[in-house]
Amino acid sequence: MRIEVEINGRAFEGEVEARTLLSDFIRHGAGLTGTKVGCEQGVCGACTVQLDGEAVRSCLMLAVQANGRAITTVEGLSADGDMHPLQRAFHESHALQCGFCTPGFLMSMEAYIREHPDADEEELRDALAGNLCRCTGYLGIIEAVGRAAREMRGADVQRD
Amino acid sequence: MEAGLSAGRLIGHPVRRREDERILRGRTRYLDDIDPPGAAQVAFVRSPFAHARIGGVGVPDGLEGVFAVLTAADLEGRVRHLPVQGFEGGEVSTEGHPVLAGDEVRYAGQPVAAVLAESRALAEDAAELIEVEYEPLEPVLDARSSEVTMSRWHKVSGDVEGAFASAAHVVRASHGLPRLAPVPMEPRGTIASYDDADDLLTVWVSAQDSHRQLAGLANVLDRPEESIHVIVPDVGGAFGSKGAPGPETMLVAIAAVMSGRTVKWAEDREENFVASYQGRGMEADVELALDDDATIVAVRARIWADLGGYLMPTTAIPTHTTAMLMCGVYDIQAADVEIVGKRTNKVPTGPYRGAGRPEAAYFVECTVDVAAKELGIDPLELRRRNLIRELPYETALGWTYDSGDYERCLDLAAELVEPERRSDDERVVGTGFGMYVERAGGLFETADAELLPDGRLLVRSGSSPHGQGHDTTFAQVAAERFGVGLEDVELRFGDSKEVPRGVGTFASRSVAMGGSAVVQAVDALKQKCEAVEARLGRSVSLREIAVAEPGLRASARFESDLVFSSGAYGAVVEIERATGALRVLRLAAVDDAGTIVNPLLAEGQVIGGSAQGLGQCLVEEAVYDEEGNPTFASFVGYSLLTAAEMPPVLTAFVETPSPLNPLGAKGIGEGGAIGTPGAVANAVADALGGVRVDPPFTEDKLWRALREAGS
Repeated sequence: MRIEVEINGRAFEGEVEARTLLSDFIRHGAGLTGTKVGCEQGVCGACTVQLDGEAVRSCLMLAVQANGRAITTVEGLSADGDMHPLQRAFHESHALQCGFCTPGFLMSMEAYIREHPDADEEELRDALAGNLCRCTGYLGIIEAVGRAAREMRGADVQRD
Repeated sequence: MEAGLSAGRLIGHPVRRREDERILRGRTRYLDDIDPPGAAQVAFVRSPFAHARIGGVGVPDGLEGVFAVLTAADLEGRVRHLPVQGFEGGEVSTEGHPVLAGDEVRYAGQPVAAVLAESRALAEDAAELIEVEYEPLEPVLDARSSEVTMSRWHKVSGDVEGAFASAAHVVRASHGLPRLAPVPMEPRGTIASYDDADDLLTVWVSAQDSHRQLAGLANVLDRPEESIHVIVPDVGGAFGSKGAPGPETMLVAIAAVMSGRTVKWAEDREENFVASYQGRGMEADVELALDDDATIVAVRARIWADLGGYLMPTTAIPTHTTAMLMCGVYDIQAADVEIVGKRTNKVPTGPYRGAGRPEAAYFVECTVDVAAKELGIDPLELRRRNLIRELPYETALGWTYDSGDYERCLDLAAELVEPERRSDDERVVGTGFGMYVERAGGLFETADAELLPDGRLLVRSGSSPHGQGHDTTFAQVAAERFGVGLEDVELRFGDSKEVPRGVGTFASRSVAMGGSAVVQAVDALKQKCEAVEARLGRSVSLREIAVAEPGLRASARFESDLVFSSGAYGAVVEIERATGALRVLRLAAVDDAGTIVNPLLAEGQVIGGSAQGLGQCLVEEAVYDEEGNPTFASFVGYSLLTAAEMPPVLTAFVETPSPLNPLGAKGIGEGGAIGTPGAVANAVADALGGVRVDPPFTEDKLWRALREAGS
């Protein structure tokens, strides 16, 4: 089947089997390997991307379901210039080690803090519980997401 | 020489990682991100039985998109079984794991055949259609009742009999730690391609280093090492499970040689759970003899290790480590320790974060708490009476602890954790401590330092990262010793044709061994640079030195005895009476890893290791059903902790430098996984009024234990 999608602002089209997962299309069809696949069961969250701005697990969707829609992957989180505040906060708080789960955390939490700018630590921890990390023990990630949310709130205040 | 502008003291500073930006922007390249065009994709046919005889393997004709199906018969004469590593004083079976099963399978998940096809989906489709005749046999699932011993080690030192006969108190306890799955977020994987003209086999593998892969491949494929090139790309975690190459890597490599195609196997999560070697799986009966003033005068232990169906290359090693550490941090003059490794119909075990150390720490520390309870002494006080205070110290079992301040670690842990014990109608709260000493380092490691034409420093290391942050810590070491800025240092790892032959990243050895090799190589290069400067007769920049004397280079191979990290952990836990639900309220983690190169990254190791220790306490267990089927083949059957369950971890470092290396470093990679289980188990027992339970501390177990405690 033929599909057309927009990924990080660029149009991609390709021929896929009906059973092709969105994660496989992004990685092998579009060649954007920043998105990782950790379980193919929708549990670990490593494959999280944004579909029209909403966080989704690309291993639980078929490529054909994304036809005609806009996808953002970790490669599109910041343009070539400065890193996104969430990326900077992950760096500052040592919120990553092997890095395999990191793109999924970034894509989940960017959507979450955009929609819940005032989330407290308890809420952030619950939101983070949808992504698994085996290296960090999460404490750096919790700190990083809180830090980024504060920074993004501050930026909003300045704009107002 | 003129030092770089930002040169200065870097060792000991919480430098943010140089690795991060690439990862955060999604520019990493893990094994499955490498997509060689036209590669044959592999799916394995794996045994659905824990134990069976194989009658035959039938391959139907006309499988769609399939290039080849390989069975043990096709590999006859082309591969050996995987080699087995022994250890000092151990009797270890030499029967290694077959690449593909011949006439018998010994665990569910064992590879029986491999399908090479145009895509992984087609390979999986075809694997479903391969007909294997199995004649199921009775599985053996319990180590204590297994009749086949695959490894054994026994040592008696000092007058153990006499000590027990004349002891004022003898304390006996039994403990067990179930099997765990290492679960790196990136599963395993291998790509191999063979160049017939040059007889060169190139293997990309998700691994903890390049040279152990190289040695394993050369052995099993019976090829000279020069004809193999191993490349380790970005690695998404390992925790011990990507150390020695497994049967799947061997299959991919030989399939590339046989077919002439590039062959790729990217493991999926289900395979990783059932077929990657596991950790722990030990039970122990431990006895302590104590005299009138609660001095521990002797230890006696019988330990059973559930090793699984075969010995993988390093399966037997953790059993030796456990046995050798059975005196813990205590001055015990007599010891009698025996460990037997038994064959069972489960996937083999191997080194998983801690690799024998968490087992020893758990067995010793839980028994010390049982003794404190029976003698009516505060557990901290019993520990203080028996701690080793003069170091270096040779234990009764024969290892020499190089350095440490065990009492300082314990005092700090007690202070940080703020002990609590209380109980009301709804909850019971208790506090526990667990100490540890771990062997780290040892063997050798290599580094090679080169002055680049632009005056920058290039360091090639035989050590290899998979999340630890070598590119930052090794750069800190190299830059400080060379007197340049971090940005002037480039590191390279993980390519067997480029880096010097090294050992790898495991056993908390990278900084102590790899870092020390970097020190020596860089110091030697610096001397060469200074000699050039002296010859030129004036102060010059590194760039001028590189122009005056192109290709300046120095190598080092650093070797040392084992170093011994140590620590004390404390935990406060709360158990809900109505449900038995456990909450760890806080964890104190005090580690002595000698000199800390980067406290931010070291703390990251401690917290990450603690999370694995807490996972073991709360949720993790690789359970086989009564027929030997794994019930943990997905994240539904095997849970990891999430951010929602992580308690606060209060960390501190004690830095007693090791005298055995130029950095004074020991190891920090495993302390969290080693110290946590004993501390939490003792806290749980404290909350339960002394009733002992082994992890994982499930609601069911704790609810029953509460009733036992109440009666």
